[in-house]
Amino acid sequence: MAKKQVDLLQGTLDLLVLKSLALGPLHGLGVSNRIAQITKGTFKVKPGSLFPALHRMEEAGWLQSSWGESENNRRAKYYRLTAAGRRQFDAETQDWQRISLAITTALKAT
Amino acid sequence: MALISRLTSLWRNLFHKDRVDQEFSEEIQSYLDLLTEAKLRQGLSPREARRNALLELGGVEQVEERVREIRMGRFIETVWRDVRTGVRALVHSPVFTVVTVLSLALGIGANTAIFSVVNGLLLRPLPYPESEQIVDVWHTPPQQSFPGLDKFSVSPANYLDWKAQSTSFEQTAVYTDTAFSLSTSGDPLPLIGGVVSSDFFSVLRSNAIQGRTFTPDEEQPGHDQVVVIGHRLWQRAFGANPNIIGQTLTLNSRSFTVVGIMPAGFEFPREAELWVPLAWDDNDRKTRSIHDYLVIARLKQNVSLQQAKAEMSTISSRLEQQYPEENSGWGAVVIPLREDLVGDMRLALLVLFSAVGFVLLIACANVANLMLARGANRQREIAVRIALGAGRARLVRQLLTESVLLAVIGGLLGLLLAVWGSKLLVQLGSLPNSGDIGIDTWALGFTLLVSFGAGIIIGIVPALQFTRTSISETLKQGSGRTGGTPIKQHTRKVLVISEVALSLVLLIGAGLMIRSFWKLQNVNPGFDTSNALTMSIVLNWSRYSEPHQRLAFADRAIEQIRAVPGVVSVGTTTKIPLAGGGSTQPFSVEGRPAGAIAEQPMAQTRYISPDYFRAIGISLRQGRFFSEQDRDNSVPVVIISEAMARRFWPGENPIGKRLTPSFHSEQGAREIVGVVGDVKTSGLDVDASAMMYLPFKQAPLPFMSFVVRTSSNPESLIQPVSRAIYSIDKEQALTNVQTMEQVLTKSLSDRRFNMTLLLTFAGVALMLAAVGVYGVMNYTVTLRTRELGIRMALGAKKMDVLRLVVGQGLTLTLIGVGAGLISAYALTRLMASLLYGVTATDYLTFGSVSAVLIAVGLAASYVPARRATKVNPTIALRAE
Repeated sequence: MAKKQVDLLQGTLDLLVLKSLALGPLHGLGVSNRIAQITKGTFKVKPGSLFPALHRMEEAGWLQSSWGESENNRRAKYYRLTAAGRRQFDAETQDWQRISLAITTALKAT
Repeated sequence: MALISRLTSLWRNLFHKDRVDQEFSEEIQSYLDLLTEAKLRQGLSPREARRNALLELGGVEQVEERVREIRMGRFIETVWRDVRTGVRALVHSPVFTVVTVLSLALGIGANTAIFSVVNGLLLRPLPYPESEQIVDVWHTPPQQSFPGLDKFSVSPANYLDWKAQSTSFEQTAVYTDTAFSLSTSGDPLPLIGGVVSSDFFSVLRSNAIQGRTFTPDEEQPGHDQVVVIGHRLWQRAFGANPNIIGQTLTLNSRSFTVVGIMPAGFEFPREAELWVPLAWDDNDRKTRSIHDYLVIARLKQNVSLQQAKAEMSTISSRLEQQYPEENSGWGAVVIPLREDLVGDMRLALLVLFSAVGFVLLIACANVANLMLARGANRQREIAVRIALGAGRARLVRQLLTESVLLAVIGGLLGLLLAVWGSKLLVQLGSLPNSGDIGIDTWALGFTLLVSFGAGIIIGIVPALQFTRTSISETLKQGSGRTGGTPIKQHTRKVLVISEVALSLVLLIGAGLMIRSFWKLQNVNPGFDTSNALTMSIVLNWSRYSEPHQRLAFADRAIEQIRAVPGVVSVGTTTKIPLAGGGSTQPFSVEGRPAGAIAEQPMAQTRYISPDYFRAIGISLRQGRFFSEQDRDNSVPVVIISEAMARRFWPGENPIGKRLTPSFHSEQGAREIVGVVGDVKTSGLDVDASAMMYLPFKQAPLPFMSFVVRTSSNPESLIQPVSRAIYSIDKEQALTNVQTMEQVLTKSLSDRRFNMTLLLTFAGVALMLAAVGVYGVMNYTVTLRTRELGIRMALGAKKMDVLRLVVGQGLTLTLIGVGAGLISAYALTRLMASLLYGVTATDYLTFGSVSAVLIAVGLAASYVPARRATKVNPTIALRAE
């Protein structure tokens, strides 16, 4: 919790959401917890950013949602990746790796 | 895949909005519940857990709004909602709505009407395939003989050389137009027909809808008695008889076989209703110095206008060297057909188009002002909405939707006005090619575009104004009437000032046109236009090929007309002054070096009967008129105009001097027996040219125009005089039967058209500007009621209040007039060529128009000022 929070870059939120859903279906709170967990608390996504992102990606056909039961028998809306979402995830992952490699190399250059 | 997903989302968002919203509320609720549960597990009390969860969420409403913002169809949905809100707001203030819609309808309608004319004449392609490739080829005449003339018709031999030597054109054709008399069972029908070479139709890429056009062998004399008729003639004279092909008609007393019918709308040259082949004999083909024909050609696809011009210049300078006697000084020019057809109308139309655009701008400024005034009442509503979190962009969009809505309703109404208006314009202006003027898809698109533009212009200023105001200020002010911050008053003043400036420019433009017109009407044409009837006739070559036949016809006609009761005198000439057309010829003066024909001076030439000058009312300056004794076997004589005398015999007495008109050189030199007053021939705005008159009896041409002076209303004599002429030959149709007054009126019709329209637009502009000044001053008085009340309570006299308010209105007007004068000074010079007798910066017009506008500004601020003086101090002070 003491870690400094970093503002999300435009586009990275999508990648993080796709990544967390690639491991299995989650509801909204689950997605934000999963992101906090896999980034070791660096990113904490607020509902005001999370829900617009989820709905936008759903309208784009990358995600599908359905109502289900939560771990404590509560009704919750679950999101899962579609085939298109998986392709999008792969494409964005590759893009990201290329960019981060380029930036890292650039920063190392003397 | 992605597209389908987006479309289904769009569908759901637009048409099942409630379900979508409902579902998201549930999702947020479940999120909150899950989060609260997690907090409980961390050991917080239920109340604390709920509170923390809500805090972390950051407001249910805000999250919901953010999700809504990204949804598909968000844009459509907001526009739709804005339109509904807008309609509600407009219905709520009906007076405002009606006034705005009507002023915009007027402005947009006038624009669409003028656009439909500009579109039909300048923008839309002519009704011939690939018409942009069609050009006219003209001679350019030697400037010393034809000062100011930039194009001239072509002689047969030059045309044949052009055609043989040029490579720029796919096809080249030559034609002329002529009057025809079509014999019928009743009176002969006068018609205009084209006499055309066989290539004529292929240059225009137009073909007969039935039958055929001409073949090259029909250009041979003797094989040319075939005719192609126009659709209109086919309908009106032959009842659209499908078996007309192959039948014979009697035209100019010769019989012609109908070989084809042209499609509707094909009326080239202007108003032609039939076409016959142009058949030159060997003599014609050698003629180089008689310029009687017009040339059209179709440019090859890969040849530019510039290249064609350059080639024609080369060819004509070669011809100049080859035939210096006839051709020196004669160049050639290539002009796109459309430019030629529209001609001088272009500048006038552009001036009118800008004028009407100004009117719309003024109307927009007025409406924007109304919206600002109305907006003062909505200030609170807007401030509340900003306080509740509405973004500025969102509010601006909402307000713009409202104004665009207004403008579009105005535009639709304007379209109706324009349908009627464009018909009126065609009638008023007797415009060429008028079948093409009307509301088409282009005009519709233009109206829509203008409406949207106007909507944004009228909405943007108020929208930016309102959304900039400080919330707390507005809310603090309560519901009082002191709304309207100083900044806003400033904007309204700027708008009024621009209105005044724009209308001043229009008024000055109109004023200059009126001054020109007035000056022209006071120009002395050199003859008496009252109580005179004119008509023309072209004698058929088949019956009047011999000079004595033509003389006999003229003698009998004059005799018969003179016998009609009410006729005072009658004369004949070859062209009625101001009715268009003319004919010039070179001449040499005895005792002066003659030189080549091309270098000889030129004079307009008319062939007249002895009584012509008396009938038309041209006065004798020196010598004598012609008499019955000046005939074929007497001494050849000539009468010249004062302008000719001044130019060629300055300081000398021309009577008794001798000159030789080159077309009649076989008769030898002619003695000048008289000098007559100058007449305006090509237009009241054109200086009288050198003119020589020859006695008809010494050179009887096959065409003549009658001038009949009457003792009473000339129109009542049209019937008896026509009867008298038809009694001599019922196959000779009379054309251009009109009174001299009508000739004069027609010669000014273009100017009258331009002036009337510009004056109308300027009048509307003046009215709108007056309303604008009135509106702002009236509003100012309302805002300052309290202040004025205090002033009067403190002892200010009515006169002081009056001076205060009127002074403010006058200041606005004066600033507007100042700005307008500067703009007018810069703009009116663009219309200099439309003016006559006044300069584009005529100080009298500038001064008097400014005075009118200042007076109107005074009057418009006087009314609110009067109201201000009636302010009752006690009531005014109690009002807050």
